[in-house]
Amino acid sequence: MFLTLFRRELLANLMTLRFFVVVVTCLILVITSTIVLLQDYKHRLAVYDTAVKTHREDIADAMTYSKLRLYVDRPPNPLSIFNQGLDKRLGNTVHVHHQFVPTLLDALQHGVDNPFLNLFSGMDLVFIFQVVLSLMALLFAYDAIAGEREAHTLRLMATNPVPRSLILLAKYASAMVCLTLSLIISVLLALFLIMTSGLIAFSGEDFLRIFGILLVSVIYLSTFYLIGLLISTVSRRTATALVFVMFAWVMLVLVYPSLTVATLDRLIGVEEKLKTAVSEIEQFWDRYDADERASVKKNAVRAYSYPTRIGHGDHLKYSGGYNGQTLLHHRYWWTYSYDSIDENKEQEVANLQSHSQLLESSRLRAAEKTWLVRKRALDQTYGRKAQVVQMAIRLSPPAIYDLATEALAGTDLRGIERFAESSRQYRRALIEYLHEKNAFSSRQWFSHDKGRVSWDDLPQFSYLQADLGSDMIDVVPDLILLLAINLAISMSVFLTFRRQAL
Amino acid sequence: MIISIAKRELYDNMMSLRFALAVLLMLIAMVANAVVFLGEYNEQISNYRRSIAQEHKEMELHAENFPTLVLYGPGELHKMPSPLSFCANGGEAFLSKNTDGRPLERWWGDYPARFNGIWRMTYPQSNPNLWNFLPESTQMDWAFLIGVVLSFAAILFTFDAISGERARGTLRLTLANSVPRHVVLGGKFLGALMSIGLPFLMSVLVNLFLLYSSGSLRLDTTDWVRLGAIVLVGFVYTAIFITLGLLISSRARQSSSSLMVLTLIWVVWVILVPNTVGLAAKGLKPAMTSDEFRQRREALYQQVTQKYLDRGLLDSYFDPREIPPAKITLLWGEYHLEESLNDERFLEEHLRAQLDQVAVARSLARLSPTAAVQYAIESLAGTGFSRHLQFLSQVKVYVPEFREFLADIDRADPESPHALFFRPAMSWEPVPFETIPKFEDRYSFDDSLNDATVDTLLLMLVFVVLSAALFLSFLRVDI
Repeated sequence: MFLTLFRRELLANLMTLRFFVVVVTCLILVITSTIVLLQDYKHRLAVYDTAVKTHREDIADAMTYSKLRLYVDRPPNPLSIFNQGLDKRLGNTVHVHHQFVPTLLDALQHGVDNPFLNLFSGMDLVFIFQVVLSLMALLFAYDAIAGEREAHTLRLMATNPVPRSLILLAKYASAMVCLTLSLIISVLLALFLIMTSGLIAFSGEDFLRIFGILLVSVIYLSTFYLIGLLISTVSRRTATALVFVMFAWVMLVLVYPSLTVATLDRLIGVEEKLKTAVSEIEQFWDRYDADERASVKKNAVRAYSYPTRIGHGDHLKYSGGYNGQTLLHHRYWWTYSYDSIDENKEQEVANLQSHSQLLESSRLRAAEKTWLVRKRALDQTYGRKAQVVQMAIRLSPPAIYDLATEALAGTDLRGIERFAESSRQYRRALIEYLHEKNAFSSRQWFSHDKGRVSWDDLPQFSYLQADLGSDMIDVVPDLILLLAINLAISMSVFLTFRRQAL
Repeated sequence: MIISIAKRELYDNMMSLRFALAVLLMLIAMVANAVVFLGEYNEQISNYRRSIAQEHKEMELHAENFPTLVLYGPGELHKMPSPLSFCANGGEAFLSKNTDGRPLERWWGDYPARFNGIWRMTYPQSNPNLWNFLPESTQMDWAFLIGVVLSFAAILFTFDAISGERARGTLRLTLANSVPRHVVLGGKFLGALMSIGLPFLMSVLVNLFLLYSSGSLRLDTTDWVRLGAIVLVGFVYTAIFITLGLLISSRARQSSSSLMVLTLIWVVWVILVPNTVGLAAKGLKPAMTSDEFRQRREALYQQVTQKYLDRGLLDSYFDPREIPPAKITLLWGEYHLEESLNDERFLEEHLRAQLDQVAVARSLARLSPTAAVQYAIESLAGTGFSRHLQFLSQVKVYVPEFREFLADIDRADPESPHALFFRPAMSWEPVPFETIPKFEDRYSFDDSLNDATVDTLLLMLVFVVLSAALFLSFLRVDI
């Protein structure tokens, strides 16, 4: 019985203009955007390669320990073609230094050739599905019940010994087959284009992720179909159903998420918290400054602001001090690189050695203490804001869909935060390395007159690999939420339809 | 006759569910707009004034010693915020608020301090994306209301205007009277325009009332004219979608297929095209990469410096205050002038290339009337890209003016050796702060109107083409 009904519905759906139109539009959009996105990925990959190369050369250039300029880079995520999330937006280069603990917010962006192009927001495959296929799901659904009721075929059908639930199920199943079919065709086509481009080689895990995205997409489409079905069941006339359906779509897909983000962004202030954090951080560095003054006195290193010139060479390359409220930056450092030390200044070398040992250690302590305050403050401001906004927009299924696929693609905040975590790990390895070499108290900290530093055994940066398992766990709440919405709506559809006069 | 048909349509629409929902949608958008932009302008304008006061204070300090003024130049030049940014935010966050006249600091470099460059105009860039963890979203401004909500409402009001009547048989009935077809069409068009225009005007008024009564808005006469122009442009844009809706509706056998086609056109035109072209334009007209930019700028500096080193910049001891100046003093002057001008030209060319790329992207985006209407509203509201271009062109006028002023001051001092712009060999007198030309950003209604004209004409063109198509199609269609 179910099969007969299912076949009837399926044929009715497949033979219509709308199915044809859905597939064709979806395919055209997917093809064009995949091509554009592939080009963009290629460009970003090239930029990443150049950055890595330049930064490796920077290391080789440093002749003394203090002149080391260490930058680590984040490669573009190939799955950003599916959902680009924050992958393109957030910084991808972090300065690793013992005096500063980096967060994601400190990351800069290499290779932004034209920041004005940020005026145009990008598009990815999930966006197409989110907008186009959800609309199609609603257009499949709006006349499913209301239409048949108007054509009086519903009453006809009910005269047969068919349970009403079966009618609904058949409708649902056939529409989902059509929608899933267009989805799968689109994804396969995109995959085909990506694979033949030779740019990206997906790993087995990546395919699992893509499969996950596909699965979430199906559940998302089912949500929209059910919303449409509910409206169709409740409405007396197709025309009414149609208007409601369109209204629901505009609200859920376009208005509600943007409205929530814009309003909450405005309402949740971060200024006050940042201000208190800044004053707290300044205290640490004041204490550090006092330490430094004491050390200068003790070691009789003459100049306060930086040691007097004791030799020749590229004496003082950079000394940075920066203090900004937006991101709670506070750091300063000096770098030296003497080619030779004056003979009469030789006795100052030992002084300078113990001076830098003391200073660098106290700076390191100040940096670690700063980090604790800073992390808390940033989490409570930017982090908290992002959390609240994400919670609030989850009232709309398209937002849940976006967040879930983002997490699966690894382009969500958590996925990119891994980069900051990797760079912090790398910083710890660097400090260990410097301690091991006694770098702070060595002559090579400021001078290479007795030979330059060899960086052969400098630890390599390794990007913490994404863990599919934990990403999956991350997606589970969103998945549960989507499924719950699905269940709730299907229950209401079922109950309304059961009790309805046909 | 046309009026009575329009009236009938209007009444029909107003009693309908879709009208209620359209009103609701527009009100939600406009109240949200008022919440988001409440107090925003006050904040912006006070920040603007504070920065300007700060800059003037610094300039006053610099002016106490002419060489310092020559070193730091005019400092930051700020763009005036528009009170109408709630109409179209125009991605203001991505367009920097100021340009920066600043010296070239190379004191960590390989040359002695005397090589430090004097001021040149630089163009800092703004990328707030780096600390934006929030999900992607659209601004809730008037441009969104007009671009997305009005066009959507237009489709909802028209998709069954003709196909529905044909199905019900009332179209035949209407035409059985002695009414020309184009009158029926005109009536339907006017009816739809009014049924969208009324809630639009209402929500706009609610929005203005909220902003005004909270004291976060003070508008002068031109601002009101601008608002009026924005509303007019909004009507032209809505008319495009009404015509499109009627056109498809007149060709479609069934209302449902008419809606299907219309929504697809709408999704592609309104949502997808304006969003995708940015990426596409990147490939079409590649700008210099940021690495290349840094390298070439450095190479340019090295090249100029080497040229003057070859001409004997470091040759002999000399007294820069000697009059008439020694040959080498003049050489130093020439060096600084050429170095700063070269660098400034290079920075400007780079900026120009980036802006051109955006201009190409914008032209492409104009394939969609939604982008065109967005740009027109931005121009009229005095925000966004074209406003930024106006600001930059004013900076471009001011920069040589300021440089000329510095030269004039030096020329007027008899004790100066007049080696422009070698600081030790220039006037050492203080400069009265009041005489220094100050930059003041202005934008006039004429400029805004000029910028908006292209887009408005484009919208009108689309409207005329669609109307002609609609007229012809409806004349020949079977009822």
